[in-house]
Amino acid sequence: MLELIDITKKFKQTEAVKNMNMYIGRGEIVGLLGPNGAGKSTAISMLSSLVEPTSGDVKFQNKSIIKNPQSLRKIIGIVPQEIALYEDLSAEENMKFFGRIYGLKGQKLQEKVNEVLEHIGLTERRKDIVKKFSGGMKRRLNIGVAMLHDPEILVMDEPTVGIDPQSRNYILQTVKRLNEERQMTVLYTSHYMEEVEYLCDRIYIMDKGNLIASGTKDEIKQILSLENTISIKADYWNEDFIEKLREHPQVNRMNIEEKEIVLVVSKNVNIFSEIAHLAEVMNVPLRSLDVKKVTLEDVFLHLTGRALRD
Amino acid sequence: MKGIFLARLTSFFRSPGTFLLFTGMSIVFTLILGGVGGYDKITVPVSGDESLQTEFIGEALEESDVYNFKWQEVEDLKETIRRGNAEAGVILKENGYEMIVGIDSSNVQMIEQTVADIYVNKIQEENISELLRTENEEEREELLMAYQEAKENPVFGITNRTFHSSDAFIFDRSLHSIFGFTLFFVIYTICYTVLPIFTQKGNGVWDRMILSPLKKSEMYIGNLIYSFFEGYLQILVIFFVFRYLVGFDFNGELPGILLIMAVYSFAIVSLAIFITSVVKNIQQFNAALPILSVSMAMIGGAFWPIEIVQSEFLLTLSKINPLTYGMEALNGLVLYNQPIQELLKPISILILMGVIFMGVGIHLMERRHI
Repeated sequence: MLELIDITKKFKQTEAVKNMNMYIGRGEIVGLLGPNGAGKSTAISMLSSLVEPTSGDVKFQNKSIIKNPQSLRKIIGIVPQEIALYEDLSAEENMKFFGRIYGLKGQKLQEKVNEVLEHIGLTERRKDIVKKFSGGMKRRLNIGVAMLHDPEILVMDEPTVGIDPQSRNYILQTVKRLNEERQMTVLYTSHYMEEVEYLCDRIYIMDKGNLIASGTKDEIKQILSLENTISIKADYWNEDFIEKLREHPQVNRMNIEEKEIVLVVSKNVNIFSEIAHLAEVMNVPLRSLDVKKVTLEDVFLHLTGRALRD
Repeated sequence: MKGIFLARLTSFFRSPGTFLLFTGMSIVFTLILGGVGGYDKITVPVSGDESLQTEFIGEALEESDVYNFKWQEVEDLKETIRRGNAEAGVILKENGYEMIVGIDSSNVQMIEQTVADIYVNKIQEENISELLRTENEEEREELLMAYQEAKENPVFGITNRTFHSSDAFIFDRSLHSIFGFTLFFVIYTICYTVLPIFTQKGNGVWDRMILSPLKKSEMYIGNLIYSFFEGYLQILVIFFVFRYLVGFDFNGELPGILLIMAVYSFAIVSLAIFITSVVKNIQQFNAALPILSVSMAMIGGAFWPIEIVQSEFLLTLSKINPLTYGMEALNGLVLYNQPIQELLKPISILILMGVIFMGVGIHLMERRHI
């Protein structure tokens, strides 16, 4: 349906996206995962015809849309990372403004506005000025505005940044519902791997402008089939303890956080007793030590040597 | 396009603060610094018998629109002149007057002319009364009343016009202030209405519109028509306040003034687009705007007449300043009564500037926007 073919985008000396290939099929929810600055926003800007690539092609239904994007623009809805709304207008006025620019008017416009407001749970607050809304409500309206013209493809660029867990769940459920009820195709970018895991059928992982992995959740997790992820939790760490782990020949990669160290080690290697012994010798008060179920976060750590939120 | 205009208009009604602030500042600054509305009368000390104060001469002096004649004792009058607190004073007598001159300025002649006219009128009235002395009391009263009425409602009016050579420089402080402060403050109003294009590009609203069936030209036109509208509305409010509330008549040239202001507003909308296209963020815009607008006002003759600027460098700079041509066209129309052929020059330059700034500004904006 929609694909990026060998696409590159350069800004002066910086290559924001490098030779990226991506395919989105009808009715899929595709996730684009990567840390901040990975090039996700640039990639979706090219995919949605907002930015022209330096090289490569973007095809919609097998036709290039770089020079003639109108066919795509009619059926695409975009939810930008920022709150792309008129803050001085009410929720309903915003809806009507964006509905009108898509050619909706009269009774049809009003019906559509009512339907979408209901969908995003803002019917009661329709007359309120947007700048008085909470962050979560603004995000919901930001999504609602993109749904007014019944787009076939919804491109969502980190739609849950900076909101409370309750609003976040509401948004995730809304996206899931849209996909199930209307067979809407969704491209969802995030740096929250649990969101992508929950929503997406297929996932693309980006880092520093490169596509480093792609496939279904299970396929991606298979990348770690030859390795185990071990979680070590403690109240605090000791520099010598960290150094010893880092130098251990069986440890392939490690990520250190305030109260957790995640180690990626070769499968079938048992270093539990060694870790426990090291902790005891170096006065590290261990709280737990276990093998983790593989997550996308672990895959990212495996592929880049860094945590997703670094 | 209509949708963009209406959305901006709704936002304006919700938050009209900026518009009201700059409109109010234009009016207040003009009233205070321009002396509009009777604050600009020149005080002239006069002295004379008490009877003169209450009779014909006293009443005629009171009616002067230009001078504020202030009654004083002769010694006080001379002291006022000696200290330089007044340019000249007048000692009034029954059959003549004596001018006390401190500074020999052009005002002295005009004061003397005013006083002389009053004495001529007084003598004319006395002569008429003398001629009518033979008539009976009732007829004399009737004729005098008819004479007074004829004076108040003449069969035809005479308008005095002063001839100036082509190099003459006329300065009317009130008019200058109205024009200058209006041209100056409308820069802020218009620039702050163009700024949302910049913010819309940053917050995704612009991208949303690009992905809609709207054409890019419609997006620009919708926003820029709104900017023109708000700026021009400010100009209309200011000029209608001075015309209909303060009573300033602009030498009967208000329609022409508003036409010139429309062209000026277009040039400023374009300039605002250009400024918005070269700044990198809102902080830069907020820093650049006052520097640019105050500089434009200083070298464009909004705060003081450009004729007093001597520096060749500043005068050259003023040639690329829309405000210079706005002032030139307005002064040409109202003060110098220039024909349309002469006014076309500054008006054409304003239009040309508008087209250039708009073209370059939009081009730069489009190049920068990813």
